[in-house]
Amino acid sequence: MDVVGLTPVIPIVFAFALPLFSIIVRGDRKIIQAYALVGTGLTLISVFKLFQLVYSSDKPLVYTFGKWVAPIGIIYEVDRLSALIALVTAGLMFLIAIYSYRYLEHDEGLEWYYTLYLGLEAGLLGVLLTGDAFNLFVMIEVTSIAAYALVAFYRDRGDSVFAGFKYALIGAVGTTMYFLALGMFYGAFGTVNFADLSAKVHGSDFPVTGSPVGNVVIASGVALALATWAFLIKAAIVPNHFWLPEAHPAAPSPISAVLSGLVVNVGVYALIRFLYTVYGGSLTPELAHVVGVLSTIVIILGAISALFGALMMNVQRDVKRLIAYSTIMHMGYLFMAVGLGTQLGLEAALFHIVNHAIAKALLFLAAGVFIHAVGSRNVEDLAGLGKKMPIATFSLAVATLSLVGIPPFNVFFSKLLLFNALMEKSFALAMVIVISSVIALVAYMRTFYVVWLGKPRENVKLREPMSMSLICLVLALAVIIIGLTAPLIIDKLITPAATQTLDYQNYIGVILELAKNLR
Amino acid sequence: MIAFIWASVILALIATIMISLYGIARRPNLVKKLIALTIFGDTANLLVVLLGYRVIYPVAPPVLPYLSREALSQFVETAVDPLPQALVITAVVIGMAVNVLIAVLVIQLYRLYGTVDVRKIGERLPALLEGGEQ
Repeated sequence: MDVVGLTPVIPIVFAFALPLFSIIVRGDRKIIQAYALVGTGLTLISVFKLFQLVYSSDKPLVYTFGKWVAPIGIIYEVDRLSALIALVTAGLMFLIAIYSYRYLEHDEGLEWYYTLYLGLEAGLLGVLLTGDAFNLFVMIEVTSIAAYALVAFYRDRGDSVFAGFKYALIGAVGTTMYFLALGMFYGAFGTVNFADLSAKVHGSDFPVTGSPVGNVVIASGVALALATWAFLIKAAIVPNHFWLPEAHPAAPSPISAVLSGLVVNVGVYALIRFLYTVYGGSLTPELAHVVGVLSTIVIILGAISALFGALMMNVQRDVKRLIAYSTIMHMGYLFMAVGLGTQLGLEAALFHIVNHAIAKALLFLAAGVFIHAVGSRNVEDLAGLGKKMPIATFSLAVATLSLVGIPPFNVFFSKLLLFNALMEKSFALAMVIVISSVIALVAYMRTFYVVWLGKPRENVKLREPMSMSLICLVLALAVIIIGLTAPLIIDKLITPAATQTLDYQNYIGVILELAKNLR
Repeated sequence: MIAFIWASVILALIATIMISLYGIARRPNLVKKLIALTIFGDTANLLVVLLGYRVIYPVAPPVLPYLSREALSQFVETAVDPLPQALVITAVVIGMAVNVLIAVLVIQLYRLYGTVDVRKIGERLPALLEGGEQ
């Protein structure tokens, strides 16, 4: 088994073995923590190896399960886009696993926490690596079920359980929509493999599965609309955003970081796969019209959610809820960029996914240090703690400045790319980025001012929890380093990835070569 | 006649989807929301099974005993498309996991608040979560 097929298997094996393992070690917290670190660490090594392999090869890597070649069997097909996001995912999951130990020191059930955590990681990696639309559905469900349960982790607190219920209900509706869309795709094209779908959409033949049936344009329109609706729910774009500002704050802070930084990317990534790989490039005029209408809707909803998220940030008293609205804003940016359908738009979206994941995780983790210290999420309860915890305050400052888009930090460069990409389409869309950033700046600065310079409510004695603060420091340094080397990263990592994703013929060709041997 | 039955079955399924979405959105009772969600999931599954179905006679189970040209042509003549059924059984299993999780959350909410009415639970949620004025 090579590294492509192995990668998601590692966390899922560790996840399923953990409940049994915790009985053997009688729930010893230190051993369970070490087990989780080994699990996430091995995954990180595997993903890093995969990342190196993908970037050194011209074609996407393929893994066929049980040697059943597509379109008959399920395959994994990894291009640079998925490998880059997977590397960020595995890296952040490893660091957040270190952070979680101290954060959950007062809570029971560390073994269940890590079972779900590793399951979530397996689901995320599966979404990124898969080359099959139905496998994407299964992996989205794996990710989602782990996420629902982790949101309701504090099961004695009504708000957590209710937020988890709301998230699960709306998430289940969304994934069922996607399942219906898959039925439509199968009915029209006779396949659910991405490469095969893409070949059929572009009018070329594929072995075994035959030619499309019925009216392809109507089927594509209905199926794409249902699938996009599901992805809009998963990525919390207005008007499907209402679960996010309750679900993300109600989870433990490390899980908020995972949800806001990584899990929402699932929707964006899946939409990129459909719009760029399956329905990318030159299409027949009718199909191009369908995709054009869909892209326009996605861009408009993205712009609305960017402005809405920025405005709602300013009326929040709960610090985690404020950050959650910021996630809605950034998802809006990503959908605007994805809807453009250009190379620059894809580059901007990919770079922003990476930067937003790191900076948003850092922001939740830094805020988590303060929340852990006082046990409250109200901004005013956190007043004046900043001076007692210098490392966490430094990280909080780096994260807020970065997310607003101040020059030396990483998000500035992806916002610049977004601005340039949207400028090609219209000036008004580019101004949405500027205006929402300015509005968000006000909200961030108010929070930061209170935490750093506010008067403490009571004289609390606090020591900085080093294992948590050091993770924040590592991520803060990552934010600064990515910011300083941004031109190099765009040149070496982002542009090749975007070029490869736009080249859908290459994506089909790799599978076609395997499928030719089938008869 | 067959076309009429076909159309009415599909229309009935789409109507069921609409009603179940209404139930998810508008019923205040959490258990009824869960029931509406299961109806929605099952209707979607049935629609996908219907995609693979065709009216044929005689009909045989979609099993290919051995690989040869005659067996394959017999299979194509007498069997319905088995792949949607394979997709649906996966979706049924996943749907069970989600429904069980939601049921657990409803039970936990009932333990915490003593009610499954979403309006009463909403009144008793902590004030901070509402944001804005306190």
